[in-house]
Amino acid sequence: MQTATPSLLELQCALRASLVAHDDRGISAHVVGGEIGAGERLDIYRNTFASVLTTALRLSYPAVHRLVGAEFFERAVRVFIETSPPRSACLDDYGHEFPDFLSGFEPASSLAYLPDVARLEWSVNRALHARDAEPLDAQRLVALEEAERGRVTFALHPSASLLRMDHPADLIWRAVLDEDDATLSAIDPCAGPVWLLTERLPTGVEVRRMSESAWRFTSALCEGRPLAAALDDARDFDASVVLADHLAAGRFIDFSLNETSA
Amino acid sequence: MDSHAAPLRTRDSIPARAGVGLRFRHHQEVLEARPAAAWFEVHTENYLGGGSAPAYLDAICRDYPVSLHGTGLSLGSAEGLDPAHLARVRELVKRIEPGLVSEHLSFSVAGGNYLADLLPLPLTEEALKIVCRNVAQVQDHLKRRILVENPSTYLQFRHSTIPEWEFLALVARRTGCGILCDVNNIYVSACNHGWRASAYLAALPTEAVAEIHLAGHTVRRIDEARTICVDDHGSRVEPEVWALYAEALARFGPVPTLIEWDTNVPPMAVLLEEAGHAAALIDEAESANGHALAA
Repeated sequence: MQTATPSLLELQCALRASLVAHDDRGISAHVVGGEIGAGERLDIYRNTFASVLTTALRLSYPAVHRLVGAEFFERAVRVFIETSPPRSACLDDYGHEFPDFLSGFEPASSLAYLPDVARLEWSVNRALHARDAEPLDAQRLVALEEAERGRVTFALHPSASLLRMDHPADLIWRAVLDEDDATLSAIDPCAGPVWLLTERLPTGVEVRRMSESAWRFTSALCEGRPLAAALDDARDFDASVVLADHLAAGRFIDFSLNETSA
Repeated sequence: MDSHAAPLRTRDSIPARAGVGLRFRHHQEVLEARPAAAWFEVHTENYLGGGSAPAYLDAICRDYPVSLHGTGLSLGSAEGLDPAHLARVRELVKRIEPGLVSEHLSFSVAGGNYLADLLPLPLTEEALKIVCRNVAQVQDHLKRRILVENPSTYLQFRHSTIPEWEFLALVARRTGCGILCDVNNIYVSACNHGWRASAYLAALPTEAVAEIHLAGHTVRRIDEARTICVDDHGSRVEPEVWALYAEALARFGPVPTLIEWDTNVPPMAVLLEEAGHAAALIDEAESANGHALAA
């Protein structure tokens, strides 16, 4: 049977289908066979594709990998890769949908805390690789008019994440990476929720707990709530101390003035 | 700050000596022990974010000539280059001013997905036009010449009409890019497709070859009767590849040469030993060149 010559775009999409979805129908007729068949040749590329991405995800999700074991992890990753292949050549950015995938991955449903551990690990990965950014100079806030200051909303440093988890994922994560089985078995996986801040410090990545009120105040400021309104919401604790700590730690990189003031 | 008008300077050009591929596990050691490598090459995509990796690279660039070797631009993609990726590469090039910038004659992006490998192209007139268009776009964007490397391949397409060595020479001639001649890749592809490695070398335009790569490979057994040669960068350079490298030096003269080792990365001392072997062959080629000139 004569096969029409594909355009480069058609051929590349066919090779994509072969690697991602294991569908060789569009490609094998165009591959020179010989002693080694087209399928065997394509397998070499398929194996590289799967093993490179499995390694990338294992590096980003080391605690998930240890919790479920190498074999289970690989099985989950194979399914994930097929549904969510990378969209960027920077593999440090690959896998942010993996926690959501795990939430719906039936074989993992008995580990209710697993998606939370994965979300925490993604925040750590982001803290490791996020772009560098200069912290906000507090003098810029001082220079504002009083009324303007009330309308300020902040931009969080790209390496920082605020997470609310139903499970104590921070304790589980730490015990797993420390291989501390005694601590791990003493953790009550239902002892949540917890409110976390992950950030990159000069000494490395840190995950720490915040009080619910400080966390809510910080989240509101970074989600567009004007400063005056956020302070107003937070009357039950000293939010200005939290704000001063964030500014001193360089957790904000910029601010804007919310149009709808308090 | 904008440098659209100004050509990007290069900090230090890469010397025609033996360098070493630098991986994360050696960052600290390079800064502390200052090993005697003539230069280092790093993978572009490992330094496009923030944090400690680019900070190490900045420090290493102060002490050594550094070359950037990319795996993600996908010069052979029919759908064109990813502008966001190209912009990130440009930022890094601006910041560290590498001695050389290189990429591959392959594609790794299709249908908007990154396929995590250097995939083979059908070597056709259409692909030649597309590769030349993409190389020209990268060179315009980076405001500098890049080098394009021959890949190792495990399959060929039926509708290819141009031999790989001719294709590479044509890309260099039409775009002005240089050639990164990976001697191990020539050996691997020649084994897999029945090409003559020496003839491949002889067909490359001497003046375009600006860098050579050397690495280890594995002969993988498929079954009793069949093997395939796999470019896994996980061992020392094989004797047959050293012999082919000597041929390359005789043809191209002394060229910056890199020892690549990406899987099971050994101690720096092993990499320097391999670089030492390459350096000795460069010296031989230099003195042979000198004799030829004196004669």
